[in-house]
Amino acid sequence: MNDLTYAFDLSHLWQVTGGQLILILAGLVLICADMAMMKTDEEVRSKRLGWLTVIIFGLTASHMMSREWDLHNTVFMGIFSADKFSIFVSIVMVISGLLAALMSIGYLQNNKVTKGEYYILLVYAVAGAVGLVQSVDLLMMFITLEVMSLAIYALAAFLKNDQYSQEGALKYFLLGSFGSAIFLFGVALIYGLTGTINITKIAQALSGGLYNNPGVLLAFVMLMAGLFFKMAMVPFHMWTPDVYEGSPSVVTGFMATAVKAAAFGVFIKLLFVSFSPILSQSGQPDFSSTVNLAALGAYWKPVVWWTALLTMFFGNLIAVSQQNVKRMLAYSSIAHAGYMALGILAANGEGRMGILFYLFAYTLMNIGAFGVVYVIDGKERNAQTLDDYRGLGYKYPALGFLMGLFLVAMAGLPPTAGFIAKFYVFSAAIKEGYFLLAALGVLTSVIGAYYYLRVIYMMYMKEEIRDVVRGQVAAPTVIALVITALGVLYLGILPERLATIANMAQQSLAMIF
Amino acid sequence: MAGVNEYIVLSCILFGLGTIGFLTRRNALILFMSVELMLNSINLMLVSFSATRADMGGQVMVLFIFAVAAAEVAVGLAILICLFKHVRSVDINKFNVLKW
Repeated sequence: MNDLTYAFDLSHLWQVTGGQLILILAGLVLICADMAMMKTDEEVRSKRLGWLTVIIFGLTASHMMSREWDLHNTVFMGIFSADKFSIFVSIVMVISGLLAALMSIGYLQNNKVTKGEYYILLVYAVAGAVGLVQSVDLLMMFITLEVMSLAIYALAAFLKNDQYSQEGALKYFLLGSFGSAIFLFGVALIYGLTGTINITKIAQALSGGLYNNPGVLLAFVMLMAGLFFKMAMVPFHMWTPDVYEGSPSVVTGFMATAVKAAAFGVFIKLLFVSFSPILSQSGQPDFSSTVNLAALGAYWKPVVWWTALLTMFFGNLIAVSQQNVKRMLAYSSIAHAGYMALGILAANGEGRMGILFYLFAYTLMNIGAFGVVYVIDGKERNAQTLDDYRGLGYKYPALGFLMGLFLVAMAGLPPTAGFIAKFYVFSAAIKEGYFLLAALGVLTSVIGAYYYLRVIYMMYMKEEIRDVVRGQVAAPTVIALVITALGVLYLGILPERLATIANMAQQSLAMIF
Repeated sequence: MAGVNEYIVLSCILFGLGTIGFLTRRNALILFMSVELMLNSINLMLVSFSATRADMGGQVMVLFIFAVAAAEVAVGLAILICLFKHVRSVDINKFNVLKW
């Protein structure tokens, strides 16, 4: 912000933020395409736009993989950076958007809401999320956070005639904007105290003696709280179940994965780049002196310890009592945030690698599960309770098998991606000596297995009590479900390749700029 | 004449009022206004910091925050109107079809 000596260079902009630019321009193209096809039948138009969106996400992902991945920490004007870490998280989010777009084609048809703006909002939500993890500037983080969130609020409210969808969206909006305001307060404090909002310059300012300033610690807490909202960590999780239940199923799958990935990505970046001076002076908090503000920084580990524990316990315990499958998956997503927080607490390379792997695996299994939920649902809120799942395994063998696979993966059983992901984060925590927390985490994941497997029990062991007729299964949904299922199995059996890539990504964070 | 510190204290007080308003009021529109108050108190803080540091960055940030706040209200009010059509109320206690 201070030195505007950078020359604006379009080719450099394209080099660093090519993926983002593709998404932003493609959003405009989609708007025009929607207009140009005004005379076509609405359903056909929505279908074409859907396929166009899939192509856009495919192009973006391949651009990021082939071009941006090899850029070593290039920064554009102190705003965006192309480092392997943010590119990895971006690719996860683009894939999440791609799978969501594939499923949306069928979903919108089943629910008779074939409106073109859906895909435009989806593209901009992903563009915002990609901008969020790529930004190295707190103001840009706030703006892109809002771009992402605003698009997702609108997506959550997409079922206009459905009171649940509207109510969930309003709750999300109110709490989301409250969370963003808290985040922004942290940004303002950091700006006032350090005079910069660039994440690396903040680190320099903090290591220059500001690290024990109470204002900096307040700002640190505020930034963390703002992101905890988006990550759905206890105690900032209140909106999650309502919003996930109310939103259209495919949107729920998308926001459970892409928003979480974006928030975790930017959280790790802030924590390990900007606030590394605070982290490095950890150790035991000193209680002997009356007011020792310098020791406050040492509290971040206990805070994350308790947050992770509460998140895991709360998510898993309350999920047990849920009768609605979507709501149950919402609580399970809170629990998953808790497992990922173990990787943050470990604060070592293995933990960060574990989180990246976890985000990828979680994206596949969660979007897959919500895809099956929407197909069984037919029309939103038609068949979402556990009783509706009775006997489905025999009635619809393929859907039953897929749901079973995704739930087994979420429960963390081998040979699925969920097991490997959990293994990485737990082993990272154990390596740093968090035996108790890891043991409690495994305990909560046993509780988790109960309610995941209960759905499978309902599907295969119980007689049907209500005639549930699944909705139409569109071809793109089949493609998406097959991709997610194969991905979950592939990562469960041969995780080394992704683990190596994730490790490269997290290493690039350590040598950032 | 008030110094910069007073402005910063004032903006912190406004932020606190916004937070309290958000947490205690039950009218969705008042909640919107509370969030706006929080954002504007941050704007005041940024401008005061910008003045202390003789750096224009803070004031530029304020312009961006204005734009974001306007976009936020546009989306929020649209959602509220859609919900109002179902509930016929802006009392958040009446938005209770989703609960555990």
